Amino acid sequence: MTLSRRTFVRTVGVGASAALAGNIWGRGRENSLWSAFEPDLHAVERGVICIASNENPVGPGKVVLDHLRALLEGGAKPGRYSGQAGDLQDAVAAKFARYNVKRENVLLSEGSTEILRAATQVFTSKTRPLVGTIPTYEECAGYAELIGHPVKGVKLNSEFKIDLDPMLAAAKGAGLVFYCNPNNPTATYVGAKATRDFLQKLNASSPETTILVDEAYFDYVTDADHETHVPVAIENPHVIVARTFSKAYGMAGLRQGYAIAHVDTIKKLREWTASSGTGSLNVFGMAAATAALQQDADGKFTANERARNKAVREFSMKWFADRGMKPTDCQANFMFVNIGTPAKEFRDACRAKAVLVARDFPPFEKTMARITLGTMEEMQKAVQVFGEVLGKKTTSAAA
Amino acid sequence: MSVSRRGFLQGQIVGRSRSAAEFMAARGHEEHVAEAMQQGRQGGRAMSRPQTPPGVEAIRISSNENPLGPGKAAIDAILGKFPEANRYPFNSSPLDADLEILIAKLNNGKRENVTLGVGSQEILRNAMRVFTSSARHLAEAWPTFENCSGVARQLGVPVKNAALDANQKTDLNALLPLAKGAGLVYICNPNNPTATSVTGQALTDFINEVRKTSPTTAILVDEAYSDYASPSAFGSVIPLALTTPNVIVAKTFSKAYGMAGVRIGYAIGHVDAIRKMARYRMPYNVNTFGVAAAIASLKDPQHIKDEAARNTAVRDFTVKALADLGHKSTDSQTNFIFTDIGKTMTAAAFRDACAKHGVLVGRDFPPLEKQWARISIGTMEEMQKATDAFRQVLRSTTTSAGQ
Repeated sequence: MTLSRRTFVRTVGVGASAALAGNIWGRGRENSLWSAFEPDLHAVERGVICIASNENPVGPGKVVLDHLRALLEGGAKPGRYSGQAGDLQDAVAAKFARYNVKRENVLLSEGSTEILRAATQVFTSKTRPLVGTIPTYEECAGYAELIGHPVKGVKLNSEFKIDLDPMLAAAKGAGLVFYCNPNNPTATYVGAKATRDFLQKLNASSPETTILVDEAYFDYVTDADHETHVPVAIENPHVIVARTFSKAYGMAGLRQGYAIAHVDTIKKLREWTASSGTGSLNVFGMAAATAALQQDADGKFTANERARNKAVREFSMKWFADRGMKPTDCQANFMFVNIGTPAKEFRDACRAKAVLVARDFPPFEKTMARITLGTMEEMQKAVQVFGEVLGKKTTSAAA
Repeated sequence: MSVSRRGFLQGQIVGRSRSAAEFMAARGHEEHVAEAMQQGRQGGRAMSRPQTPPGVEAIRISSNENPLGPGKAAIDAILGKFPEANRYPFNSSPLDADLEILIAKLNNGKRENVTLGVGSQEILRNAMRVFTSSARHLAEAWPTFENCSGVARQLGVPVKNAALDANQKTDLNALLPLAKGAGLVYICNPNNPTATSVTGQALTDFINEVRKTSPTTAILVDEAYSDYASPSAFGSVIPLALTTPNVIVAKTFSKAYGMAGVRIGYAIGHVDAIRKMARYRMPYNVNTFGVAAAIASLKDPQHIKDEAARNTAVRDFTVKALADLGHKSTDSQTNFIFTDIGKTMTAAAFRDACAKHGVLVGRDFPPLEKQWARISIGTMEEMQKATDAFRQVLRSTTTSAGQ
C-alpha cells in the first residue's frame, strides 16, 4: 500500500488532533512527518530560496565548521564520548554563569524537540492537560495527542500575542503550559515583565502546574523589555526553559538543544530523554555546539546574527507594510504577515518561482503567511517574487 | 592525506582516519549507555569504572564499537555537507527520506517499510512503546542487550526471560512459550553479550510458530552485529519481516559501519508495524551529517566486507590466544567475544587486572559474570597488546592458584 501524504496526515496528524482539541493543534511536525513518506516534498534544489522553516541562512560560522573539520581530518583529539556531553553541559552553564547556572541545571537533548516531548510526557496525564496557544509550535500538542493526554488551546490576542489572562484561566489544574516566546508561527514576543508576572500568578493559582518557556528564538528579540527566564527556572521547580542550536547558532541539521531547570526538574525530565537513558546525542551536535558557545563567549556571534537578522527583518516588514499588508510585531527570524489571500495559493505561486515559503497555520491560513527571513540578498529576490505573486492577486481583486 | 584500504586491513590508524575514527566511532558509547541506564536504576550512583595506570593510553575493548570508524566515503560525504549545517533534515540534500529509500531499495522493500531512529536505540524504545503495556509483556532471552528491559522498567512493563542454551545461544524452544500473549519478543541476533547467533532457518521457524500461537505478538529482531556474522551461522530475517505482520528488524550504523557517535539506526519490516513505529519517531530525529555519511557508506559495500574480514582475522587471533591459555570462547559471529574465564577468575577480577595493564574489557553480564568475560575486538595491534595482558593476568592467577 502506498501512503500518500493525504492518507498519512489523516491517520497521524490532523485526524488525531481533530478528535481532541477540536482542530488545529497537532497538525504540526508536518514537515518531518510528511517527509517521512514524501521524499520530494521539501527537497531544496540549487537556486531555490528556502524561507519556509525558520532556519538561520548563514549557518554556524567558520570557527565551528573548522573545529569539526579538524576532528574529521586530524589535528584535534576528541574526548571520550560521555566526556563530550559533559563539556557541552559546562559550556552551557558558562553561557549562563551570571545566573549561577550549574552543570546539573542543564539537560542536553536531540534538538529541543526531545525536551518538549519529555516535559509533555512527565508533566501531563489523562487528567492534567497540556495548555498552549493556538497556534504555536506543535510538538507538545502533537506528542500529547500521541500518548492520549488532553490538550487545551487558548486563542491569541488581537496582536497575535499570547493572551495572558485567558491563558492563566485555562492553565488552572493543567499539567504543563507550553509558552513559546517569541511565539512560532506568529513571531510576537511577550515582554519580560509581563511573563514574570504571569509565571508568578500561575504559581499562585495553580501551584502544581509546570510551565515550559520555549526560548528557541530568544536570540533574535530586539524589544527592549526582554530577558531570559533561565534565572527563574533554576530557582523554581515548576519552570523549564528550552533552548536550541537550530536557530541563531545556525545548526538545525545537527540536532542539539537543551533545557535549563531546577535540579529536581532536570532529574524528572532526564528519565524521559534519550540523551540520558540511551546516550543518543550525536558527536557532531555536541562538538559543534560546544565550539559555538566558546566562539560566542563574549556574545558577539549572537549579537551580530541578531543585527544581521534585524536589518533583513526591517527591510522585509517595510516591503509588506508599504503595500498595505500588515505584519505582526516580529521579534524572531521569521515574520507573520496578513497577505489577504490563502497561504496555500501564495505558497504554490511562490514555489513555482523557486521560493519556498508559508505553510498553513490554522486558524489563520486563509489570510496570514509565515515567511522565514533569509539573507538580505535572498529577501531582495524573494520580495520580487512576492510582488509578482501578490501584485497579480491585488490587481485581480481590484478589478 | 589519504588512507589506503591496505592501511586499514593492517590496523594502522593514521592521520585523517585516526581522528575521524575516534570522533565518529565513539568508542565507549555502548558502555556509556549501560552506565547511564544503571545509574538510573541505582538512583544516580555511577558504575564503578576500573582504573588504568596514570599516563597509559587505554586500549578500549569494552564497548563493541568498530575501532577504525567509517570509511573515507563517509567522511568525504560529511565534509561536503558543511554548507548545509543550518538546514533541517527535511530541507537538506540528501534528505533523511533519501536514506530510507536507499535502505528500502537495498532490501527489496519500499520506503514505507523503513523508519529511521536515533541509533537503533530509538527503534527499540519505540517498539516497546508501541507493542508492550502493563498487560502485554516483553519476552526475551537473558542475558541479551539490556535496552528493551531498561525501557520495560521505565514503562512498568513485565518481562519474561528465557535462559540461554548450553552454547550461550538464544534458546528459541525456551522462548516460544513465553511469547504467548507477549506484546513484544526481542531477539538480538547475533546476541550481545554472548556473540552467538541462531540460524536464519531456526529463527524463521520460530517466527512462524509465534505467528500461529500468538498472532498479535510483535517480534523485534535486532541485527546490529549481522555484518560481522558468517552466512553459515546467521541469516537475516529482513525478507520475512517485509511480508510478515508484526515482524521488525532493527539495524544500526554503530557497529560495522563505524559510526556509533553519529546515532543512526533504522527499523525495517511490515508496513503496518513500521507505520505504528513511525508515529512515535521523534521529528527531525537524525542529523544531516549522519544521513550523508550513512548514504555514502551504503554505497560502498566493499568497505563493509573488508571490515568484516579484518574483524574475523583479529577475532580468530584473539580467540586462539585465549584458547591457548585454556579459556574457550563461544562461537562468535560479532566484533566481540565471550570467553569462559571461570576457572581462573570472575569478570570483575579480570576487568580490574586488565585495567592495570591499560586494557579495558567489558562490564558484568549477570547471571554469567562469575564465569564469562566479554571482550570487544580492536585492531590487530591493539589485540596483540591486549592478549599479552591477558596472558599475564590469566597466567599469574592460574599459577598462583596451582601452587
